[in-house]
Amino acid sequence: MLTKFETKSNRVKGLTFHPKRPWILASLHSGVIQLWDYRMGTLIDRFDEHEGPVRGVHFHNSQPLFVSGGDDYKIKVWNHKTHRCLFTLLGHLDYIRTVQFHHENPWIVSASDDQTIRIWNWQSRTCISVLTGHNHYVMCASFHPKEDLVVSASLDQTVRVWDIGSLKKKTVSPADDLMRFTQMNSDLFGGVDAIVKYVLEGHDRGVNWASFHPTLPLIVSGADDRQVKLWRMNETKAWEVDTLRGHMNNVSSVMFHAKQDIIVSNSEDKSIRVWDATKRTGIQTFRREHDRFWILAVHPEINLLAAGHDNGMIVFKLERERPAFALSGNSLFYTKDRFLRYYDCSTQKDSQVIPIRRPGTPSLNQSPRTLSYSPTENAVLICSDLDGGSYELYIIPKDSVGRSDVVQDAKRGTGGSAVFIARNRFAVLEKNTSQVLVKNLKNEVVKKSSLPIPTDAIFYAGTGNLLCRSEDKVVIFDLQQRLVLGELQTPFVRYVVWSNDMESVALLSKHTIIIASKKLVLQCTLHETIRVKSGAWDDNGVFIYTTLNHIKYCLPNGDSGIIRTLDVPIYITKVSGNTIFCLDRDGKNRAITINATEYIFKLALLRKRYDHVMGMIKNSQLCGQAMIAYLQQKGFPEVALHFVEDERVRFNLALESGNISVAVASATEINEKEQWYRLGVEALRQGNAGIVEFAYQQTKNFERLSFLYLITGKLDKLSKLMKIAEVKNNVMGQFHNALYLGDVKERVKILENAGHLPLAYITASVHGLKDVAERLATELGENVPSLPEGKTPSLLMPPSPVMCGGDWPLLRVMKGIFEGGLESAARGGAVDEEEEEDAGGDWGDALDMVDVDGMENRDIDAILEEAERGEDENDEEGGWEELEGLDLPPELDTPKASANARSSVFVTPTQGMPVSHIWSQKSSLAAEQAAAGSFDTAMRLLNRQLGIKNFAPLKSMFIDLFSGSQSYLRAFSSSPVVSLAIERGWSESSSPNVRGPPSLVYDFSQQEEKLKSGYKATTSGKLTEALRLFLSILHTIPLVVVESRSEVDEVKELVTIVKEYVLGLKMELKRRETKDDPVRQQELAAYFTHCNLQLPHLRLALFSAMGVCYKSKNLATAYTFAKRLLETNPMESQAKTARQIVQAAERNMTDTTELNYDFRNPFVICGSTYVPIYRGQKDVSCPYCTARFVPSQQGNICGVCDLAVIGADASGLVCSPSQVR
Amino acid sequence: MAGMGSGPDHLFNLRNTFYLGAYQTAINNSEIPNLSPEDAVERDCLVFRSYIALGSYQLVISEIDEAAATPLQAVKLLAMYLSSPDNKESTISSVKEWLADSTIGNNAILRLIAGTIFMHEEDYNEALKHTHAGGTMDLHALNVQIFIKMHRSDYAEKQLRVMQQYDEDHTLTQLATAWLNLAVGGSKIQEAYLIFQDFSERYPMTCLVLNSKAVCCMQMGNFDEAESLLLEALNKDAKDPETLANLVVCSLHVGKSSSRYLSQLKLSHPEHVLVKRVSSAEDNFERALQSIA
Repeated sequence: MLTKFETKSNRVKGLTFHPKRPWILASLHSGVIQLWDYRMGTLIDRFDEHEGPVRGVHFHNSQPLFVSGGDDYKIKVWNHKTHRCLFTLLGHLDYIRTVQFHHENPWIVSASDDQTIRIWNWQSRTCISVLTGHNHYVMCASFHPKEDLVVSASLDQTVRVWDIGSLKKKTVSPADDLMRFTQMNSDLFGGVDAIVKYVLEGHDRGVNWASFHPTLPLIVSGADDRQVKLWRMNETKAWEVDTLRGHMNNVSSVMFHAKQDIIVSNSEDKSIRVWDATKRTGIQTFRREHDRFWILAVHPEINLLAAGHDNGMIVFKLERERPAFALSGNSLFYTKDRFLRYYDCSTQKDSQVIPIRRPGTPSLNQSPRTLSYSPTENAVLICSDLDGGSYELYIIPKDSVGRSDVVQDAKRGTGGSAVFIARNRFAVLEKNTSQVLVKNLKNEVVKKSSLPIPTDAIFYAGTGNLLCRSEDKVVIFDLQQRLVLGELQTPFVRYVVWSNDMESVALLSKHTIIIASKKLVLQCTLHETIRVKSGAWDDNGVFIYTTLNHIKYCLPNGDSGIIRTLDVPIYITKVSGNTIFCLDRDGKNRAITINATEYIFKLALLRKRYDHVMGMIKNSQLCGQAMIAYLQQKGFPEVALHFVEDERVRFNLALESGNISVAVASATEINEKEQWYRLGVEALRQGNAGIVEFAYQQTKNFERLSFLYLITGKLDKLSKLMKIAEVKNNVMGQFHNALYLGDVKERVKILENAGHLPLAYITASVHGLKDVAERLATELGENVPSLPEGKTPSLLMPPSPVMCGGDWPLLRVMKGIFEGGLESAARGGAVDEEEEEDAGGDWGDALDMVDVDGMENRDIDAILEEAERGEDENDEEGGWEELEGLDLPPELDTPKASANARSSVFVTPTQGMPVSHIWSQKSSLAAEQAAAGSFDTAMRLLNRQLGIKNFAPLKSMFIDLFSGSQSYLRAFSSSPVVSLAIERGWSESSSPNVRGPPSLVYDFSQQEEKLKSGYKATTSGKLTEALRLFLSILHTIPLVVVESRSEVDEVKELVTIVKEYVLGLKMELKRRETKDDPVRQQELAAYFTHCNLQLPHLRLALFSAMGVCYKSKNLATAYTFAKRLLETNPMESQAKTARQIVQAAERNMTDTTELNYDFRNPFVICGSTYVPIYRGQKDVSCPYCTARFVPSQQGNICGVCDLAVIGADASGLVCSPSQVR
Repeated sequence: MAGMGSGPDHLFNLRNTFYLGAYQTAINNSEIPNLSPEDAVERDCLVFRSYIALGSYQLVISEIDEAAATPLQAVKLLAMYLSSPDNKESTISSVKEWLADSTIGNNAILRLIAGTIFMHEEDYNEALKHTHAGGTMDLHALNVQIFIKMHRSDYAEKQLRVMQQYDEDHTLTQLATAWLNLAVGGSKIQEAYLIFQDFSERYPMTCLVLNSKAVCCMQMGNFDEAESLLLEALNKDAKDPETLANLVVCSLHVGKSSSRYLSQLKLSHPEHVLVKRVSSAEDNFERALQSIA
């Protein structure tokens, strides 16, 4: 049982869930009806108008109404919106036990101790039917959720089902109600609109409760005989199906679960029991110490139940609804019903993977709680509460995304929780000992480790690390180093979500989210009033999470906000850009698109990515007081400026961000004294004398102005001010200014004018203005003041200002990022294109500076990190001084034993056979022998098979084959390197210890590539290069190995193709050398045309032969070449020449010189002497390349391939293991 | 070989960095306070062995004086052996002398060094005489390698099983598993690859791990991936002999010229197996020519 909410109160007798809102009504024995919000846990309202206990209460399913009935015989209908009782239905003559609204008609059914059931119309507020027949208290009555039936239970030991079909018919016309009212009395006894359909007898004592199944024709009842009975009915009859025994006292209430195939009952024996409705067996029992249960309620929509007892009520769930899931990249594995399923976030395809439970296993809360997945091994760990905590390990077969219904024999074990900590290792928690077992995929214990704190759950924390949870803290523990990497005090952590880069972790508690670094350094804490359900990190490091009713975000600095509201709880599995992937409570995958603008914007601000910020300001609708307040609060008044139209706010923001020019503009707009004053203060702070002066002028603050002039040395303006003061008759101002100016005469004048003659006199005489002093002395007469003796007066002159005029020099600091964009971006419509461009330009500058800023930050981060690391190291080093035994195995604790062991018993094994030996023993392919290093064997094979005797051209290939047959593994430090034989034809299923043939550096496809290059070189006339390529093919083929027979034929074909080219090219090159022998030239050119060439090459050969012969005036021969050329459809340029030659030759079909060339007589060409060997003449051939030779060449090395001996005996090319087998 | 323990293992990181071939990192991060005397000696051994792996033999020889502990003296012997091939006879005789000394003859490091030296001498019999009993993870790992060199993977597997019993997740156990997997070949190569992959995810990439991965790739016939891994390794250390040697092999297979890497290897490591192989192959070829003529 998962308790969601609990209240303490007087005995709860009636309960009803609101169908939509998270509300529940509880009617109490004290007469009060309480309205609770069970999600927030608050009492919303109380309704206190009944006298005595209220036993029945029910919400209307669509109107803001509820009905209640109590021991005061009254049925009251209330509007919970207006908090008022709307009216009272009177009629029952004894306590009312239950009341219920009809799901569509305006009816209420009530059951009473007066032995009747009444049906009321709450619109006409009348009783429309009285159902009589029970002969004891009726304890309960309720409508069928769909059909026109009522079920009732009574202390007369019966359950009755009533047919109210006729009642419904009668009320079709609204006028009926009035008529019915008159009829009511006649109906009172033996009413006809509601007749008893079935009377269910079977209970031995009074029946307290009976209720319908929401969909099936079933009834369940509970009675004082401590039994729960299940009844079935059809059109004509109803019968008892089974009895559920187990309660130890009166069963007070019993119901079918709205969503699952179970029955829930409660009893005065202080227990709630859960039964399997199909098997009719008890599944679970929940007991309370002191409280007898009185009432049950089932939520009509969601998976919630409520039970009322002696001292309050509880709202609870029977089973967890969170599907277990694990995400890896785009792959989400999750459990649903009996199956492990797979969901691909990129394609949004959902498929069933394997069954994980046999069908029909009875269980509550035994379903998988957590899932852990190892992508490399394709293994899944499923943990559940079965057997007090256990896990199952499944290896997902590679090919089985099938419908197979066979449950794999999983590897199992018990343990608090189990998670993968490496590709092929998982950790299992032993709760009672706080130990962790590290196991391999065979479910064998590899290692045991005790944990540093009493742990009740473990979570993944990076490879080899575990996050251990206890009641009040979590630690990250490195299993190998046995070191605590981090520790954090937290509320009870339920879920742990790592960021994609494993740098940050979110710890989710019931009402708290803690974001910490990978070493559990606290970054921020968030509190929620509503339960936190799930979360995932987006790619930018923002944590997106859900509560029961919101999707929210949390920025790295702890700022959070709502992204959207939710109707039903969801469990986030992955966040990718604007898409949130989640599972709902039905185990369905959903992809929700959200508007991420707000948090992306805030994140950009936080990360100081001002370019993004600016882009977003320009392109998206981000406004509102909240955003401005946020910006101001976060110290970005200059950004906020962009959003504000109101001048006063703009002025404030401008001042805050020190943007004087905007402030001046705004101040001018507002033009009030206060703003000018504040502007002056800020301008003074910045030393912007011009603006200070302007602001002082605007406020007519002459004292400040004159002081400003004094310190900035603007004496001319100061004297002007003095004049103004004179005009304004401001004597003090005048005097001050005179003082500042050091103008003694003026001061004397002012004093004199003001009537202070003695002062004027003293001033004049002290400053040595004798004339004036004398004049004043006469005016004063006897009142001439005496001057102090013995003092030398000096003229008070203000010091000259350090800097005259102008603004204070300002350090050229980073220009406010937003200054540039300000003018253009802010003022709504006033933006014209030019300004826009300006802004762009400024942005260019600003960007650079952003970079600088970014770098600085990075540096600081780096320093910080270093500092942290330093600390960590200190941590590691301190503390754990406990020395853990020596690194010796137990049996070697005594050195003697091992000394003995090594001196006496051990016999060194004989050396095994290197792979290369195996190769050379097994193979009869020359290439493989060469790779194995058995050059002599390779040579012998080649000699035997192909008659090769000249191995010099093959030397480099032998060595390459040999060199390429081993790789080098540096294993143990400073020890000799390990050579590993590279084998050919590796596949995943190759069995170990079975040696494949050596991997060869040459293969057939390379030769085909070379052939293509050779053709290309031929076409472009690079004949030497072409010859080199073709020869290289001929030289490599003896050392090429192919797999199949058909490939062998291809190899052989390649040899003949290449041979023709080699021969042809050799002759052509020879022809070019023999310039002085035109006959031989013609002959060679002619023979070339008889090599088997590609068509373009043949054309070239013919063209050249034609030319050579024509030049030598052998027109008839040239004619034949021209004719042959024309037959090949040559290009027009060639064809034209050919036609001309044909024409010329037709006129004079003669040859001037005799050639050894008879094209009518088929011939081959000797590969060494380049003379035709006509059919019928004797010849010998090369055993390898099949070139033909005149018999005199017998025994020489082949002139074409340069490898084999002409006329030697040979068995033929062997280049595939398939030939050998 | 602490099986199950509770105290922290101060040298864990240092050992790992050493085993995975991050020798300079090991040296740089060797300042660990609060070490017990035994741990301190082990630390020093690791540091000096790192220097040896980097080729700084003289530094090791001059830093370790007469007063140093036996394990360090043993390490010094290795440095002497590797630094002057001409005087190796005298080094070997002092190794033998020390091994015969009952007070220090059983020292694990000494035996390890002896095993390493005799392995270089290709005297596996002598090497195993001192190492076969094991006693430390290092010794067992060395045994695995000796048996692999002897092409006796059955024996190597037995050694590995001992290691797995002590600590299956120990870096050396994992490495030795991978070595053996490579030696037996077939489907095991993939497992070896995964082990090196794990290392490369968990620790900073080293030439050693990159090379090992590349070797796996080559064994699986995936020469293109091997080449890119090796080039990455070459970036880290342009003179690493195994990187160069494997690049030679790899280039041959992908049909590129290998001569540049080979000449580099010949210049920097004239004693490398591949260099010797190539020159012996040339002689071999001439001899074969004569035998066939």
